Amino acid sequence: MINVDPITYLYTVLLLSMAVNLGIALYGIFYRPSLIKKIIALTIFSDTANTFAIIIGYTRWASPSKPVQPPVLTKLNVTRQDITEFASNAVDPLPQALVLTAIVIGLAVTLFLVFLTLQIYRLYKTTDVREIARLRG
Amino acid sequence: MNGRIIGIVVIVLFITLFSLVIALGGLGYDLPMERVRLIARTYLSIAYNPFNRNYTVMSPEVVTSIVWDFRGLDTLFETVVFYLAIIGSVVLARGLKSSPPEKKIESYGLSLIVKTVTRITIGMIIAIAASIALHGHLTPGGGFQGGAVAAIAPLLVLVIFSRYYLENLGVKKNVMLAIRSIGLLGIGLTGFSVLLIGLFSGVNAYVFQNQPKPGAPVGLPYKFNGALISGTLWFFNLFEMMAVAAGFTIVFLLLSIPERDVLEQLKEEADKH
Amino acid sequence: MIDPELLVFGLLGFLGLVSVVATYLAITEKNLIKAVLYSAIQSTVYAFIYYLLMAPDIVLVYVPVAVGLYPAVILFLIHKTEKEERD
Repeated sequence: MINVDPITYLYTVLLLSMAVNLGIALYGIFYRPSLIKKIIALTIFSDTANTFAIIIGYTRWASPSKPVQPPVLTKLNVTRQDITEFASNAVDPLPQALVLTAIVIGLAVTLFLVFLTLQIYRLYKTTDVREIARLRG
Repeated sequence: MNGRIIGIVVIVLFITLFSLVIALGGLGYDLPMERVRLIARTYLSIAYNPFNRNYTVMSPEVVTSIVWDFRGLDTLFETVVFYLAIIGSVVLARGLKSSPPEKKIESYGLSLIVKTVTRITIGMIIAIAASIALHGHLTPGGGFQGGAVAAIAPLLVLVIFSRYYLENLGVKKNVMLAIRSIGLLGIGLTGFSVLLIGLFSGVNAYVFQNQPKPGAPVGLPYKFNGALISGTLWFFNLFEMMAVAAGFTIVFLLLSIPERDVLEQLKEEADKH
Repeated sequence: MIDPELLVFGLLGFLGLVSVVATYLAITEKNLIKAVLYSAIQSTVYAFIYYLLMAPDIVLVYVPVAVGLYPAVILFLIHKTEKEERD
């Protein structure tokens, strides 16, 4: 009656829950009045974007007894056949390298935002954006 | 409380049923994919390939070889961005000092049980961080991973003992700034090392080069006394770990100055004008 | 026997749903200290997802940064400024 591949269904559940995470984090950045809550929502947003990139690099297994491998070679005296078998059995390494750079840059921006929030509190004595907008003019 | 439970149930039901609709209707192509892309297969087969010495990196860990050799300039600029963020934070907190302690230093902090357990685990944390960083070309790990783990140790000492204890041990802001500058200088020098070797022997060479390439037949050795060090990758990991751990320690030292000291010093400066 | 690939994907789908619950609770919570703790729970679930997707370098970066450094820095900030979010 209903014939749906269970693996495709579960993969769609994962992708859709990441998309809903993205939506909730964007709502948190726009509609919550506290500066600290905005910083927390920004970190959730950037982590979810990195997860999307890593999900793209995963592949199906070749057969139920030969699972996919992480991109690390485990033997040091290799033959040519070892190398071709490793290249057809491993996960994509390029998104992982780009996500590493993205995590570091997100961390640097968040540290700087924390110091700016501290300075705003010392000057205006509040972290509520509506009060700050009212005080300025 | 009731409103939140209803919200959670609605969102979970929405995700499970909507994905059933999408999977039934068909997406037009197979998800997830069956084989990796061509560029991934190329990177996987030339990262450690003793039969093709012109293009290989001689490091069995493919992600580290992409980060420091195939796309090394990306990582250089990422390190520069991190450095600028730390410098911005130091500028925003310039001229602030913390007042000397009022009681004896041993009476600050948490209880005796916590302090004894922390003394044992701090050594283990630093040993594991060094192992992750220096084996980055053989196992998963690398410079940034080891530096982030090594920055947890000063944070623990700061919270459990006190800030005055940490400064008595010699971990001050200026010392950490000096260690960070040595790490960044090391990264710059390692990037230029093969170019200098090529300059002094009269051969063609490039910046950020690791192994010999067609048209530029110099490079650093990939084995040292029988152990694999993969040319410039080991030195990059070592200097990056020093730079990252020192940078995080500076941020924690600046954030832990007590607030009433800061407000006093800001008021004194405002009164002077 | 159950197909092991089906087991891995089933675990991935379940962990995705748990992370959605943790994010929703983190954004709609008024007490800021509890919000930081819910965000640390969500980061732990993400680290488990990265491990199942065969990315060990990312797990080694993510666990000290998102479960150790982010909550520590934001807890310093909350201690120095306000602890409750107003309406």
